[in-house]
Amino acid sequence: MAPSQAAHVPTLDNLIKSFNNQTLEASIESLIFLLKWRQVKGDECAKATAHILRQVVAKSKWNDVDQLLSRIQSYGSRLARAAPLEPVIGNVVRRVLGLIRDEATEDRNADDLASEAASDIQSLTPSTNPTAHPPQRPAPVPIRPSPSVISTGLQVSKSMFNLLSVANPGDSPITGASTPMSQAQPASAHALRSEVMDGIEEILDEINQADDQIAGFSEIQIHPGDYVLAYQPSRTVEKFLVKAASKRRFTVLIASHAFSYGTSEAPYATLRKKLNAAGVNTINLASNGLMAYIPRVNKVIFSAKAVYQNGGLLVDSGSCIAAQAAYEYLKPVIVLCPVYKFCPEDPSDEVSRGELGNPSSYVSYANGPAVDALDVENTVTDYIPPELIDVYLTNLGPQTRHHLASILADHYKTEDIGFSLQLGEP
Amino acid sequence: MPAETNGAPINGAPNSNTVPATQDGAKNAPAADSLAATPANTEKLTAAQLKAKAKAEKAARRAQVKEARVAVPAPSPIQEKGATADAKGGKSKGRQDGQQSQGKGGQLQVPPATGRRPSSPVLEKDVRSAVPDCFSHIPMSKRIPTSQAHKDVHPAVLAVGQQMATFALNDSISRLKATLLAFAKVIESYETPKGNSLSRHFVPHVLNPQIEYLTECRPMCFAMGNAIRLLKGKVNKFDIDTAEDEAKEGLLEWINFLIKERITLAEYAIARNAAESINEGDTILTYGRHRLVEKTFLEAKRDGKSFDVTVIDDPFERTGQELAKTLRQAGIPVLYSPNLGGLRPKVAAASNAFLGGEAIFANGSLHASSGTADVAMAAMNAGVKVIVLCETINFDRDRVSVDSLTYNEIDPERNTGDCFRLLFDNTHDKYITGVITEFESGGGNSPAQAILALLRKQEDPLID
Repeated sequence: MAPSQAAHVPTLDNLIKSFNNQTLEASIESLIFLLKWRQVKGDECAKATAHILRQVVAKSKWNDVDQLLSRIQSYGSRLARAAPLEPVIGNVVRRVLGLIRDEATEDRNADDLASEAASDIQSLTPSTNPTAHPPQRPAPVPIRPSPSVISTGLQVSKSMFNLLSVANPGDSPITGASTPMSQAQPASAHALRSEVMDGIEEILDEINQADDQIAGFSEIQIHPGDYVLAYQPSRTVEKFLVKAASKRRFTVLIASHAFSYGTSEAPYATLRKKLNAAGVNTINLASNGLMAYIPRVNKVIFSAKAVYQNGGLLVDSGSCIAAQAAYEYLKPVIVLCPVYKFCPEDPSDEVSRGELGNPSSYVSYANGPAVDALDVENTVTDYIPPELIDVYLTNLGPQTRHHLASILADHYKTEDIGFSLQLGEP
Repeated sequence: MPAETNGAPINGAPNSNTVPATQDGAKNAPAADSLAATPANTEKLTAAQLKAKAKAEKAARRAQVKEARVAVPAPSPIQEKGATADAKGGKSKGRQDGQQSQGKGGQLQVPPATGRRPSSPVLEKDVRSAVPDCFSHIPMSKRIPTSQAHKDVHPAVLAVGQQMATFALNDSISRLKATLLAFAKVIESYETPKGNSLSRHFVPHVLNPQIEYLTECRPMCFAMGNAIRLLKGKVNKFDIDTAEDEAKEGLLEWINFLIKERITLAEYAIARNAAESINEGDTILTYGRHRLVEKTFLEAKRDGKSFDVTVIDDPFERTGQELAKTLRQAGIPVLYSPNLGGLRPKVAAASNAFLGGEAIFANGSLHASSGTADVAMAAMNAGVKVIVLCETINFDRDRVSVDSLTYNEIDPERNTGDCFRLLFDNTHDKYITGVITEFESGGGNSPAQAILALLRKQEDPLID
């Protein structure tokens, strides 16, 4: 990262604007810089990743699908390595990879149809053309399982290929969906580029709209007279509560990690102002331990940084205390998590240990003896095991943890699930 | 904790007594004048007149106070009986220092407005009204300017009350000790009015106003409730004919005994017992700073044991930081976590969790500083033993609490919607492996539910 950037740290919006003027490499470097400095966090990571991958598609040199895939993979893994505790980056990369594979399939099917002089069928419904594939097939790419595996494979695993397998309803074991298109013409590469970019645009839209979509479910979840404990309300939670406040009268207890007492403005002032204006009472709790308040609370709401495939959550530290306390008192725990935060991995040990943050707000460096003597650990992220969570409220609606697998299958391709495994080898 | 804890039934007594007695002396000012002139009147009349006068005075003062509320000056030291208040003075530092300096001599000094509450001290009703509705049933300490205190309140008690209201005296045991020492001063300066006996007169007319005042300053802690109940029992046991000096001597002796047995020795015995239960190489987790836990660690270190301590702190109080520093100075490796983040992995890495308690209810649930319940629960869920250290004087045998909103206190500094905090929480006994009290030896400890049995075991001989 360029040291000159340490002086002024651009915001995400500026960064995204600057993408257009910079070379691709420079954009990537500045984003990596911001990720490492934790200037871009959480939801912003997803947006930034989508934007930068869009640049990769637009600016980098590639002639066929395979080249594009490997470009995305290598840039994606660089980003993911820069922020190992932001699984959202990997999720967006996977989504983009899956998108490219889909577009490639569609393209080829179109080509195939054209080559069969069936170009009048523009609807591109490949299922009607089981025999549409040319007999000669190039060798599958290495990351795909060998055809023999697939032919003995279960129907389930096939269904995960989603659109890809739909292309071969004739049960042909060789789907060839991601086979390299070495013969792809530049013209089709050009078409692919714009299609992929449109697709990324859609992903961006999804990311941008997710909070509002989740807020749409607030009415169902929050009832009049409820006492809702919101732990460190993120933007997602804020929208959710404000939306609920327009329809319901309830009380919000806002807990957070720590806030400095005595500052002129009480924490979460803007949120509280909005809620109070709608007639919703708010109480800021100056406490880390939440067991004392849980008997009063009807439900606990917070947002997740990531949801793992076992249903476990990566969250801001302290949310775990809230979830645990609520679980003990059998109060529902509602997690707001847009689908792009669902991560087709299992939590690593690092995740369950938690990320360590800057302790200087707790132990001042001016306090020499303390700094000298203490091992201070300020954990800033927590892992919450799935059993503590009752509802995963996504932009597609509420889910239970038993249903997460199908959401993952709908959004990621099996080829890309191992994306993070390649992180070690750049 | 409700304001009228154990003293409730008798607290009301002085007021109700005055009403029937005012038959002849009531309300008429001349009665007060005649008091001096006719000292040889019947006792009943004298007492009635006294009370009438007191009542009139009180009413006048209240009216005055109401008018002058706008500009109440900083409380000035009470000079008339300064000598008697000596033992309680000198606690002008922060709340943490209250413990050390307590009981030592010092010049009389009304606790200053520094420390926890820099804001203006007199805003009585307004302060209360800012409390969010759903917590409005929970009591809160309040600072009463000494000029507004009841005139019967002894200066020593006044000082203790101020210290409690400002949290210079914070934990249950130091509050208990200060209260007992102040009551000893009250007893010393007490003179039974003619024709009365100590056992009849002392409690309703002298002791109760003190208790009322203390409760007003800050809701009584359970240890104080227990001690006051014992003290009243003790006073009532005196025969009506017991000589005053003898009775006073007996009471003072008893107070000394109580402090020695139930506070000093208990602390020592608990630290001993708990230290014995620490094994070589253990990692002990604790929350915040509690004097018993601190003593235990230092004791175990003195025994030559090597062990690690994980201190989990409350970022809104940060008492654990002091503990961490003290332990570190004693050569104990300390991991300090300034908040409850990452509690699960930290708890899972520990071999034992030692928690200090403010009180234990009859159903075995623990009343301790806010956040303790979360730590205890996390530890229990991780399969780590949760050991509570608590003196038996803190055991409450009459009350049962199943949630933290039954008996609690609002932090008087953080009592609004902008910033709200309860001082205590309630840990269900299923999250407690055992309680170490001064009664066990050899490292064994009793389950929390056994407290009633424990109390029966030791309380009876004390009352006699």
